[in-house]
Amino acid sequence: MTARQDHHGLGRRRFLTTAALGGATIVGATALGGLDADAAFAAPAPSLDPAIATTSFVEGRITGITGSILEVAGSHGDNSRVQMTNATSVWKVRETTAEVIEVGDGLYARGVPMPDGTVAADAVWVNIVNLHTTIRGIEKRRLHLAHGRHELVGNIIDGTSNASYAGRAPTSDLSRLRIGQAAQVLGAWRPADDSVDIVRVTVGH
Amino acid sequence: MACGSTSLWAGETSWFCCGNAWGPCASTGGGACGNCRSGANHGAWPNASQACWDITRPDLCGENIPRRGCGSVMNVRHQCSGATVCITITDCGPRTKEWCGEATCCNGTCRTNRVLDLTPAAFSAIGSLSSGKLPVYIYE
Repeated sequence: MTARQDHHGLGRRRFLTTAALGGATIVGATALGGLDADAAFAAPAPSLDPAIATTSFVEGRITGITGSILEVAGSHGDNSRVQMTNATSVWKVRETTAEVIEVGDGLYARGVPMPDGTVAADAVWVNIVNLHTTIRGIEKRRLHLAHGRHELVGNIIDGTSNASYAGRAPTSDLSRLRIGQAAQVLGAWRPADDSVDIVRVTVGH
Repeated sequence: MACGSTSLWAGETSWFCCGNAWGPCASTGGGACGNCRSGANHGAWPNASQACWDITRPDLCGENIPRRGCGSVMNVRHQCSGATVCITITDCGPRTKEWCGEATCCNGTCRTNRVLDLTPAAFSAIGSLSSGKLPVYIYE
């Protein structure tokens, strides 16, 4: 069964509940999220299943991983438990699997509230950031960025990092980036060194 | 105030973080209105005030966006999926002038110019954060 089939049949809430309870083997659930940027643009599928009347959003740092449960400390003092299922789509630099999630990672998740207080995640985005920056320096393997009053290192990842110039389609050619340009950086924060792995840098005219 | 159904604008929306947060977002603060939170359904509007307008300058992209200040509510609908989220304006942005002419498309129809920024909570209610931007209709 795929998420798309579920969209037309089994209710999404029941689908996730079943998955959360471990009663189904389901792959490829991307109706809500977890697609990489290019795939999202290429596939105009509904980003959110309208059948879901109420979903929950979770934000914070992962403080523990117990089996398929992520313990999350919210940035405003709240705590949440996120239930990963085999239908949960996971993004961490790219579409990936739950095995790459680590304690200390930052997280955004959206899913369905369960009776036991957990949130059965439809999608989790790990360490994802989308920052308005200014390019301060350019090296072969990294960009030096100003984000507000802070300096930030953006790591260029072979086969992943791309650039969009003046609204054009993304390209792996980063050579047209210029110091002083305003740049929107979509990427993944690295908790270990506080840098960001660049997925896409978007610059205007 | 409840979200309405009167058409206000259309264009691209991106997303941003604000309030207490992890990683590089930790330094972003509560935004122009002081109460912006990544985990709430909030948004940033390019004409939240005159000072805001002077920064974002959507008119340079041909977008004479009306003034809607802190606390204004809007319904934001994904152009293709129809997924909708009701947001409250709590910040100024995006800097529309920096991406004049940029388009985001789905089902062969495009929306041009960044006219709205959503918090992760709001953006993820209508699309995937990894897409970075979405084409939307905005109502009030």
